[in-house]
This record gives sequence, structure tokens and C-alpha cells, in this order.
Amino acid sequence: MSTVKKSTTSIDTPDSEKKMATLTVDGTVIQVEEGSSVYTAIKDMGIVLPAMCYHYSFSPFGSCGLCLVEVEGKKNNVRSCTARAEDGMVIHTDTEKMEEARKKAVEKHLVTHPLDCPVCDKDGQCELQDMAYDLEVYDIKKGKRKVIPEDTRSIGLDFNMERCILCGQCINVCKEVQLVDALCFYKKDKKTHVGAHGGEALFCEFCGDCLAVCPVGAIVSKFSKYTFKPWQLKKTETTCSFCSDGCQIILETNERSIVVVTSELSYTNKLGYEVGPGDSHGGICVRGRFGFEYVQSDKRLTKPLTKVEGEHIEIPWFQALAQIGKRLKQIKEQHGGRAIAGLISGRCTNEAVYLFQRLMRSVLGSNNIDSAARYGHMNSVLAMQHALGIGSATSSYEQVALSDVILMVGSNLTETNPILALRVKKAMAEFGGKLIVTETWKTKLMALATHPLQIKLNSESMFIQGLVKAVVEEGLCHSAFSQKHPEAFKALQGALASLSKEAIVDACGLSWEQIVEAASLLAQSKRGTLIWGESIVSEVGAYDNVLRLIDLALVSGLFEKEGAGILPVCEENNEQGAVDMGGVSEFLPGQHAYASDDARQRFASDWHSSLPDAGEKGNGLSLPEMIEAAHRGEIKALYVVGENPLESLPTSMRVREALEKIDLIVVQDPFMNALGEMADFVLPVATFAEKEGSFTNMAGQTQGVSEAFDPRGEVRPDWKVFSDLSKHLAHPLLYRSSEEIKNEISQCVPGYYRSERPPVQADSYLQNDFVSEVTERYAQEKGRPQTETAFQLSLEQVLYHSGKLSTRDENLMGIYNNRNLQIGEADASAMGLETGDGVKLSSAQGTMEISVEVNAALPAGLVQFPVHFAEPPLKDFLVAQIDPKTHVIYRNTGPVAIESTKPIMLDVVPSKTETTTAASDTIEESPTEEAGSSDG
Amino acid sequence: MVKKLLHNVLFKEIVKGLKTTFSHYFVKEVTVQYPHAKVPLPDTHRGALCLLKYEDGKERCVGCDLCEAACPSHCIRVVSAVEEEENEVVRYATEFDIDITKCVFCGFCVEACPVNALGMTKIYEYSTNNKRDLIFDKPKLYEIGDLAYQEAKRYLVAHHQEGEDEIASEYRYRFPSLHGEIPEPVAKVEPEQNTE
Repeated sequence: MSTVKKSTTSIDTPDSEKKMATLTVDGTVIQVEEGSSVYTAIKDMGIVLPAMCYHYSFSPFGSCGLCLVEVEGKKNNVRSCTARAEDGMVIHTDTEKMEEARKKAVEKHLVTHPLDCPVCDKDGQCELQDMAYDLEVYDIKKGKRKVIPEDTRSIGLDFNMERCILCGQCINVCKEVQLVDALCFYKKDKKTHVGAHGGEALFCEFCGDCLAVCPVGAIVSKFSKYTFKPWQLKKTETTCSFCSDGCQIILETNERSIVVVTSELSYTNKLGYEVGPGDSHGGICVRGRFGFEYVQSDKRLTKPLTKVEGEHIEIPWFQALAQIGKRLKQIKEQHGGRAIAGLISGRCTNEAVYLFQRLMRSVLGSNNIDSAARYGHMNSVLAMQHALGIGSATSSYEQVALSDVILMVGSNLTETNPILALRVKKAMAEFGGKLIVTETWKTKLMALATHPLQIKLNSESMFIQGLVKAVVEEGLCHSAFSQKHPEAFKALQGALASLSKEAIVDACGLSWEQIVEAASLLAQSKRGTLIWGESIVSEVGAYDNVLRLIDLALVSGLFEKEGAGILPVCEENNEQGAVDMGGVSEFLPGQHAYASDDARQRFASDWHSSLPDAGEKGNGLSLPEMIEAAHRGEIKALYVVGENPLESLPTSMRVREALEKIDLIVVQDPFMNALGEMADFVLPVATFAEKEGSFTNMAGQTQGVSEAFDPRGEVRPDWKVFSDLSKHLAHPLLYRSSEEIKNEISQCVPGYYRSERPPVQADSYLQNDFVSEVTERYAQEKGRPQTETAFQLSLEQVLYHSGKLSTRDENLMGIYNNRNLQIGEADASAMGLETGDGVKLSSAQGTMEISVEVNAALPAGLVQFPVHFAEPPLKDFLVAQIDPKTHVIYRNTGPVAIESTKPIMLDVVPSKTETTTAASDTIEESPTEEAGSSDG
Repeated sequence: MVKKLLHNVLFKEIVKGLKTTFSHYFVKEVTVQYPHAKVPLPDTHRGALCLLKYEDGKERCVGCDLCEAACPSHCIRVVSAVEEEENEVVRYATEFDIDITKCVFCGFCVEACPVNALGMTKIYEYSTNNKRDLIFDKPKLYEIGDLAYQEAKRYLVAHHQEGEDEIASEYRYRFPSLHGEIPEPVAKVEPEQNTE
């Protein structure tokens, strides 16, 4: 990774003060910061100079030669983008001489540019075309085509260097915005090319920002090459359906399918546009840009199916819904609402989740509802609800970009949430913020971070305790905590005193100074942001860890300082929305506790029906409880919307056996899956491109989803299915559109669509529960026992995929389908393994052979595999553990043993045999205890 | 009185009328006995549209969609796709429909075509009982093109789109060839950055 080029634009840190310079532009006197770009200064006056290589999101490059201005006292024309403002400059922009010079510059580009506009995908939105047209350059005397073969070796992007005007925007956006630096100029056959370093075939993150900023058609997407012209396509602004970043994307469609996906970056009028310091540059990632093929996949279901004598047959909607309605009614009458359970995915719209939970609660009389948030995000939500009285992030994306200190714990942000990662990168690279990244292995962001802290495996808990201890003991505790809540402070001090520094240092593998530095940076920050992610919320002990992180935020005063805050990262695009809309048994819409009588009564009267009792526990069954209940035969009907517990849960939970005991399974999904095969009814539903509604991103913002084209076949949107189904039940829920549901939500949860969230209220927690809890929270020595000899298998998210959904996408599968087990360098060399070698992987659940890939980022003892691929079934080698408080299912990590299947070299024999036998010994013992709790 | 009687006896009006009638025996015939006879049409005549091929049998059309954009009556629909040939990746039209019932025969599409793939022929007899037959699809357009290649070509020449003696290959679009060989390791260069 090359060093980050400091941005040369006027923005430094938002706080720094600048010297001003006086410029005279076409007779008008203006004041600008000294050293800032003259182009920007002129642009701010409202004068738009033509330019092709200028872009608002990175520093100017000065290659196109169009933004010329005349500066008095200078003989040559000046390129305004790279010229620095100096005091007393006198500038003329609209003289005849400049017109001529600009014309000449365009001519210079056109001499070598091929006239292949008819086949070029950029035809119609090409900046060179526009410039030639605007500046009236019609006649090129001696055109000279440079003959360069097209580079089609990369799997995502084609490089047509004949069309390239060498503006360098692709290279700059990659280097300065993405901080990836995958592209460069290189010379071959005396001609300048753009491509991967060394002229190799490009394999990068494929964010496609280079594609978006290319002013001509030199960089072309392989997945839509030559298939469209910009004017043919209908553009629909909507929200991406993959991760929880909630990027705004533009679906460009013809009447039948999505042809290209673009974003603001492709369309913003760069010349007259500028992003604010905290705004996004408008780009999207590989999933959003190229993962659109699943929407038009031939494998989509188009008609409702029902199971007759073990075979699925197609039936009309009205019959399917009438039959489902009849059977649900029967089950409700015979066994009561408790025998019905519902599962909804984190990818459905807010309106769909709202209507689903209303259908379940007020019509079917069951509070057994759960969503994909149960795979991790519920830890964050419940802990934050408990401590702060809110259930979503307190920070916003803008605040992240403007943070002066960002502490990231247990998150691989560049892979899970690449666009949020760009904000983090921006905070660090552009504004000089401090970035502290903590993970057990060397993530991409850790390689860039100012304070990379690689901790030992399973030591997150100790590390966080260490941070809290450091803040308190260094006397950096924020006054709002220590002075306003002296009892809480005293309790915390007391609890922390029992922790020894040595134990923390020993567990984390860091020095105490490093921990103190990280803690004091956050505690003394002006606009600090605390981000935690997957490895915190979906690994054992998550609830306590999140509470400790909240303690850290409290003692650092992150809720007191303007611009500071916390941001828990969740996985699926609408996990936050699913929780907010009551898609979990604990909450009614608006995160009102189901256990609260007031809330229940309010919603019962709003919905004109009675709601099921809260019961002893205060709420219905969560996903693991549903499976246990199904094992006992207490669940008679299961309604699953877009979820698939068969594929997401390991076999140790015996999900299949549990499901086989259920009388009626209804699956609502765009695709047939393993659960659909078992189901009595399979209902085809629309994907995000075919429906209206809204998603809520992890920062709590509600964003619109728009319909790009009509649903294919007989496919219906989710809300319509629920509404139609309710007509066959006692209490019809009649809506004509998603908009009507939205209006109802606006009444139940005022301000939801304006992204208004309640303020943080930690006072009652600090005065009451905190004191009693804190002793226990910090007395715990550590979360999990560390197994010295076994490997830890971790199922990780990769950039090119999101959940299981993206594996349905041909484009993304074409880009990334690497099913090798990732192993660290140290382990590989100890075992004599190289990339491509086979190993035998075993745990108490079984044995399998798999090939490995050596990954320098991993420490000894850790192996990784993409969580997205169901084959090979590595998830079944792990044992799920259920969190006792939040019922979150921890299913992504666990111990395994690895044995090389390569012929053994003599000199490594002794050490190797020792490790493998020892490893398998430990494994046989360890998972048994945990298995008991999960199986029920 | 006598004059009037004479007129009546001799049927002067009839004689006068017949004179005009019989005089037409000696005038050149104006009516063309269509369909037994046909009017010769000028080269610039805008008749049925067709798609043309190069002499080697390859389709000229690159699916650029400019005809669709130029069409004032929105009767053209082009769907393009990419195809990998031996040493080049080419663009071609997978579907090309012209709705002749909507077409106003303005010839803008032919003018817009950058590769002279569209031409207008002198064919005008395509009445049918089935309106669907009047949506000319790609095979039909090529069929007309094969049938009336010379006519279409003369149309293009008459409209100064293609020279009389020039061979069509001069207008032929050349796709960039594929990246065959892996280039040898190369030095990274920064093109000079001009500030002035």
C-alpha cells in the first residue's frame, strides 16, 4: 500500500484556520483561502469553467487542459485546477484567447480519440462529446487513431485504451478516495495505458468508481458492455439491498431487466458540484454496482407452489392464500396463537415487516416473531436499550467522516460495509483523524490505520475492559459521568480495581501503553466515534461486551460531545428496520417493549384487536426458542419470509428435525431454497427492484425504495401477500399500497420517516442498574477459554458477497467464488502447506477435506472461510451457542483441527503430529457442554 | 330558328363531345396500368427499410441505437449485445424491429446510421391481412436487404452517404482487438503534470 497522498484541496481538518487571499476574477474581487485551488474559487462564484479531469472528490491533476484562465503577469495560460490562489491574482476567464486555447485542447484529445461513439457505452453521456459540442469543435484535420488492443483480461472491467484521454481520474479516485491504489499508468509499446500495477490483469475491490468517473468510455463494465445506450434506460433512484450502509443507487433498466447500476458519482455535474466535508463522494461498492443479476435470474420463482404428495405443483394465488388462511385458522382454533411462529428476514422493507408483525400479533394472535437481527444485531439493540434507552446508532455517517478519533473494535468494515469504510478512510486521510483499529487479524483497514492494534484471539472482552480501566485510571473520565453520577463512578472504579493490568496485557498481547494511548485518544477526542461490528456482536459474550463498550462511550463522554457518538454495525440492509418495526418478539413498532402493558394496550387499540399476553417472560419465542419448541412439537405452523434457518444455522441445532415436526410451513421467498423444498406452500415475492417501501440503515436513517419495473410473472410484493392473506383470516388488513402502510407507521411511530430518534437517556441506568451490574461485568476474568492447540474456524463476510442472497447472483459469483480455507502464514509454514494444498478439517461434528489458501493477514491459530457459501458446509463443523440474555445465536466461530493431507516431509514430522493429536483431543471434549444449551 | 333546328337535327353537342373523345386517340397515354405496369422510381425513393450486410456476409449493424434515437415516430427498437469473436469483441443487434405501420418514411434513421447499415429500397408492396406482418423484425429486414441490395445502395449513394465507387468496407467499423498476450512487466509512469 502506497502512502496516502494528502489532499491538496482547501479542506484540512475542519477546525484549522486559514490565511485568506484576495483574487480579482473578471473584475470581481473575492476572498479565498490562500493556497486553495483557483478553479474551486471560480466555481464558487458561479462561473463554470469547462474541465474533464477535475473532480470534486479528489485533488486536481491538470491533464485535460480545459480549465485554462489568463492570469495577469503570467505569459502562459494557467490551468486553474492546479493553480494555487495567491494574494493579488488578477484572473480573466472569458477572453477570446482562452476560448481558442480550450478549443485547441479539445482538438488535441480528439486527434487520437477513436470515433467509435456508435458502439461506445458512454455515447450520450461522454464528457469529451459534450466538450466538443459545447466548444463547437467539429472539424478535426488529421485524426490519428492509436491502435491499442482492448484489455479484457480482468473479470469485471474492460480497458479500452484507444478511448482513454489520460485524465487520471480513475487512478486518483482509487488512490485518494478508496485508498486502494489498484490502478496506475504504465507504458507498453511506447503507449501509456491505465491498468493494474505491472500491467497485470486487474483484480481489485471492483467498486467501479473508476468506471463512474471515467469521462469517456475507456473503462467499461463487463457485465453490461455493448448492451445499452444511456438514453434507452429508465432510471430509478432506490436504496441498495445488500449491506446496512443503505447507499442510494440508481437502477437503470429497460422494460424487463436491470442493465446497469450507477450512483450519484456517475451523474453529479462535477463542474458545478461540491460535496460538503462530511458528505459521501457518491460511489457504491462491488455488490451494489454489479450484483443486480439475481433480480432477473431464471431461477426466480414466478408462481405459488403447494406440496401435493411430496411434489411441488403450481397453483393460483387465490387458492394458495385461501388454503394457507384456512389451515392457519384451524391451527389457531385448535392450538391457539402460541402454536404459530413467524420469521422475517432483514432484507424486507419496513412496511413489510410492520404488516407481518401486525398479521402475526393482531390477526394470528402470536408473538412468536423473530428476524435476522437475532444473528447478532439484537445484542447491540438490547444492550443499548438497557443502558441508553435507545435502540440504534447515535452517530451519523457525516459525523463519522468528521470524527477526529475513530475507535473500531471487532469490525472488518472494508468487507462488510465498504462505503462506511470510505467515511472512516476520509476522516483519517483527508482530515487527519486518528484511526484505532482492533481486530484479531490484520484487516485492510488495520493496514491503513494510524493505530493498528492486533489483539490475540478471543481477547476482545479483555481489551475493552482494559480500555475502560485505562480511561478511568488515567483520570480521563468525562465529567458528565464522574461528577453527575458519583455512585456509578465509584462502583466502576471499584470494579476496575479488581482487574489486573498484567492479565489484560497478557490476554490481549498488547502493551499497557498501547491500550492507554487508544483509550486516552478516545476519551480526549472532540468528535470521537466508537464503532463495533461483527466480531463483537456475533461472538460469545457479545451482550456484555456491548455493555462494556457503552461504558467506554459513557466514560469518554461520547454522548455529551457534539459530533461524537457510537455506531453499531449490523449485517443485512434492513436489520435495524426489522427491529424498529417490531420484527422481534421483544419489541412492538418503535421499539416499545412488548412486556410493557401501556404499549400493548396502545397498539391493541390502534389495531382494533387484542394482542397476545406478554406471558411470564414478557415476550414471545425467539428463533432458538422456536426451534426448541418445534422439537417439543409445540409449534404447528411456521411462516418464514425470506429467511432460511436450514442454511444459516449449523446442523448441531437439528433444525431439520425440528422443522419436520411442524404441520404447516409457509415460505415466502424470491428463490427456491432448502427450506422451500420442505415447505407446504412457497410464495414467490418481489425483490427490492420490484417493490415500493423503505429500508432503515444502521445509522437509523429511513430511505426510500422504489419500483424500477413490474414484478415478473405472478410475483407479488410482501405487503400485498400479507394483506391478501389476512382477507382469508378473521381480521382483514386492507391496504391499497405500500404508501398506506407507511402512513399508518407514521401514526404509530411518529417521526420514523423523518429519521427522528429519541435522545440518549443514560441517567436512570447509571443511577439504578449500573451500580449493581458493573461489579459482575468487570469481575469476569474473560469470555472464552483459549484453546492453545486447536485452530479457530471463523466464518467471515467477504466484500464481494452479502448474506446468502449474493450467491444467487451470477455476476458476483463470477467475481468471487473462492472456496478455499484461509490460513495464516505461520501455520501454513509450520504445517508445510502452500496455497492449493488439501487439508483434513475436523471437529466433533465430522471431517472433511478442503484446499487451503495462505493469507498473510491471519495470525497463527485462525482459519477463515466465507460465511456466504453453503457448500462446502463448513457451518456444520461449528456448534451454535445461544446467548442466555439476548438469545442471539453465535454460529460463526468455533474450534476445529486441521491436518495436512500432503505427504509429510521428514523434518516437520514430530511437531506436526503432536499438534494435530492434541488438537483433536481438545475438540472432542469442548463442544459438548455448549451443544446441550443450543439443542434444548 | 333554322339554326336551332339544324343543331337539333345534327346533334352538334354530341359531335363536339365525340371530337374531344376521339382526339384522345392521338394523345400519349397517362394512366399506368398498375399492377400490370409500374412507374419507375427515382433512386432517392423512400420505400421499405432494410438492413444491409458487407460483401463478406457480415452484418453491418453494430446496434448503436442511433436510428432509434433519431426516429421521430418511435417505430424502431434495437436491443444490442456483446459477442466475442476470434480476436475481437463485437457489438451487434440481437433484436431490431421496425414498426412499418408507424413509420413515416422520413429517412432520418438511414441518415443517422454511422455504418450505413440501414437503407431504403423501392419496395412498397407489402400490404397484408395481418397487421403483425408489418412489424419488420431483424430476419425480415435482412431478407429485404438481400433482395434489394442494389436499390438500397443506390439510395445511399443518391443521398451522399456512400460514394458510388467506394466499397462499403471503408465505412466498416473496426473493433479493437482483444488483449492477446500478457505484457512484460513494465515501469510505472506518471504523465507530466502541468501546472501552467
